[in-house]
Amino acid sequence: MTDTPLPPNVLAEGMETVRRAPPGVLVVFGASGDLTHRKLLPALEHLSRRRLLPAAFSIVGVARSEMSDDGFKGLMAEAVPNAGPGWAEIIKNSAYVSGDYSHPNTFKQLKSRLKSIDEALGTGANRTFYLATVPDVFAEVAAALGKVGLNHPEPGGSSRLVIEKPFGRDRESARELDTALHEVFSENQIYRIDHYLGKETVQNVLALRFANAIFEPLWSRNYIDHVQVTVAETVGVEKRGSFYEKAGALRDIVQNHVMQVLSLTLMEPPGTIDADGIRDEKVKALRSVVVPSVAEVANIAVRAQYDSGWVEGMAVPGYRQEEGVSRDSQTETYVALKLTVDNWRWAGVPIYIRTGKRLPKRVTEVALQFKAVPHLAFPKAAATGLNPNALVMRIQPDEGVTLRFGAKVPGQAFMVRDVLMDFSYGAAFLEEPPDAYERLLLDAMVGDPTLFIRRDEVDTAWGIVQPLLDAWGNDGAPLAGYAAGSWGPRQADTLIERDGRQWRTP
Amino acid sequence: MANAVAPPPNPSSPAQPLRSGQHAGASSGDDGPAVVHTWEKRDVTISEVVAALPELRRQADGREAATRTAVLTIVMVIGPRDDPVSCAESVRSLGAHHPCRAVVLRPDPDSTPVIDASATLWRASAAAAEGHPMFFEEVHINVGGQAASHLSSIVGPFILADLPVAMWFPTDLPDPTDPLLRLASVLMVDTRLVGPELAAIGHSYRTLLELANHQPVVDLSWVRLQPWRDLLASLFEPEHSRHFLQGVRLASVKGKPGPRHMLGGWLMAQLDLRAREVLLTDSKHVDITLEAFYDGEEGKFQVSRDEGARAVWAKASLSGGMAHGQAMPLPDDSLTSALSAAIANLRADRVWERALAAAAALAS
Repeated sequence: MTDTPLPPNVLAEGMETVRRAPPGVLVVFGASGDLTHRKLLPALEHLSRRRLLPAAFSIVGVARSEMSDDGFKGLMAEAVPNAGPGWAEIIKNSAYVSGDYSHPNTFKQLKSRLKSIDEALGTGANRTFYLATVPDVFAEVAAALGKVGLNHPEPGGSSRLVIEKPFGRDRESARELDTALHEVFSENQIYRIDHYLGKETVQNVLALRFANAIFEPLWSRNYIDHVQVTVAETVGVEKRGSFYEKAGALRDIVQNHVMQVLSLTLMEPPGTIDADGIRDEKVKALRSVVVPSVAEVANIAVRAQYDSGWVEGMAVPGYRQEEGVSRDSQTETYVALKLTVDNWRWAGVPIYIRTGKRLPKRVTEVALQFKAVPHLAFPKAAATGLNPNALVMRIQPDEGVTLRFGAKVPGQAFMVRDVLMDFSYGAAFLEEPPDAYERLLLDAMVGDPTLFIRRDEVDTAWGIVQPLLDAWGNDGAPLAGYAAGSWGPRQADTLIERDGRQWRTP
Repeated sequence: MANAVAPPPNPSSPAQPLRSGQHAGASSGDDGPAVVHTWEKRDVTISEVVAALPELRRQADGREAATRTAVLTIVMVIGPRDDPVSCAESVRSLGAHHPCRAVVLRPDPDSTPVIDASATLWRASAAAAEGHPMFFEEVHINVGGQAASHLSSIVGPFILADLPVAMWFPTDLPDPTDPLLRLASVLMVDTRLVGPELAAIGHSYRTLLELANHQPVVDLSWVRLQPWRDLLASLFEPEHSRHFLQGVRLASVKGKPGPRHMLGGWLMAQLDLRAREVLLTDSKHVDITLEAFYDGEEGKFQVSRDEGARAVWAKASLSGGMAHGQAMPLPDDSLTSALSAAIANLRADRVWERALAAAAALAS
């Protein structure tokens, strides 16, 4: 039968616009862990509910915890209490392999289970290995998969490795991890997840810029005065205190989420909207960012830690009072940063970035602040309510785009003030956007790496933040404080105000 | 509003005018859209109705004019067999999520030659609009006398520029030569309703094919059947199963007239089957079974409904031992849901057209 050419699935004609995973198996390492339970299994159930998983599909859990197939199936059912009927069928086809990642037998057993699933279901040797484990074992698991040959796709099949951020703690450790992974898997088999890229509105930055002719001509130093990127959270460290102590806002948010959003904002139009077309341009944009020297860090960056305060009507403790946090912690929960870009499009346009926990509002946005008109023809008094134009891409929540422009106030007098043209995705499209994990899991299974981060992106992003890590790693590096519920420390205001600008209030 | 004449109660009005702040009957609890203002008048000119719309917005809540958010114009032409209230409710609940201007026409060439109209400004619930104030308009026009045969002259002034116009004929198909159709970007019909009597199916489908020659047609019934088609197609994704597509000997389709014909037509057209290889049987629910052979192996591929589990099952079993399947919850069968899916894809569907042509052949 294998000698006969595969006919097209004529019954799927007209439904090509729906991206659907091919028959296959998703192998989840860390299957008994929190990420699997809280994010991956619900995302997979949603995919099944939306009919985006194939009929021949199985999930194989792998973890150190002793558990039977039935135990794992129970865990799958428990993770999605109100699951649709399709979930039961997927559970029925699923399996569990228990064992230590350092033990070769774990992987031999896994290989044998995968073979029998292929034979029973027709999953076609398409395997996606998802490492929902602590980063410390990424290299170990990859190497063990290699030893049993699961890194090599069988004929007609595929073998992909999905890993979650953080990709290293700094540039050096990221490079070490990369070297270890590449000893076993090639770059086109590695899918590095930053779940921000799975957000519909991050992808919409591409649509806004490259599907509309009116914005792109304005998208440069000729018209834009500066760019502000804000990633603000109202939450503190919750129960992740001990993790956060080792990470901090720079590693947790700036190196990955902010750099990804920034690269999409700064990049040149790609020749094609495909994986390499987009990622080549993103890397070029990141390479154009001027990497500060360690000595310059004090002038272009502020780090701070939240004190106690009030957020959304609730009294909240300071960072050092949080569970799992050292009482004399020097970890930053806030970063404000000014970057510049050396290229034709962005030369002279400062990029102001701020991110923090326990800020007044949960919001992620990119604001392009346009230059003021060269000459204001109206008397100053007539334009007191007028500010330069701004185009704001709201990434979360309330995803949308706002354009601020001036309009005449009705009446006999000629008064001009700001008005907003506001587009909300939620109000224009009925379709509920997929969760970021749904999107990325599906992309990994489909084999579309566009929204995954390539090794050179990771490396370049680390290169930009490395001087800050170096400067702030020294004892005595300044750490400002800010009240929980405020927009950050005074020093952050000074950072932008000395350039004659102000932070937006999102 | 200043220019509005307080109308007498209008029993014939399909608008069912509501008081300001009252919630739409189509929606449950506080989640439905709420009336901001209504206007109605008997024996009106179209200019008066058009002028009433911005006036409704200006008066929106006494403080600030209601901004317009719209992604399309929907024109609904209600025929004598339609239930105007339920049709209007569907459009309204659609508008609450997918902002539009809805124009509901009720032509009656045999009645007095007057035009009665009402207009309502709705505010979508905060949940539907993600906290944004979102307003949409619903205009009902009863057209009596000769004007009922010239609906294009009535609809034109209400069409929102630069946005698609979806024209919905719930039950009765329009005459393909009607100039009204030239205003439409897409026609929406429902093959489940246009030919419920077996004898009428062939004729209705041929009319539809003629309509589809001129502009895109979206069939709400076809939209509803998509999960069944989708699930059946998914059974052939594994390579081993795919080969069986070339060896289908019998396609059995159960269902009501309309859906079973369309699915039978689809299978006939896509799998290049002869009419005698497609077996249509009357049934309350859709059920599709394909019997196929390949390389000495027998395969059965079935999509059926499990009433108890409120689910649709797709199962493939091959005599060689391989079996796979999946299930999904029974899809939302509501008119609003079908309309929502339809307006998300306002373009010609060649697969549907081929299925329709084959269905017409099967029906005759």
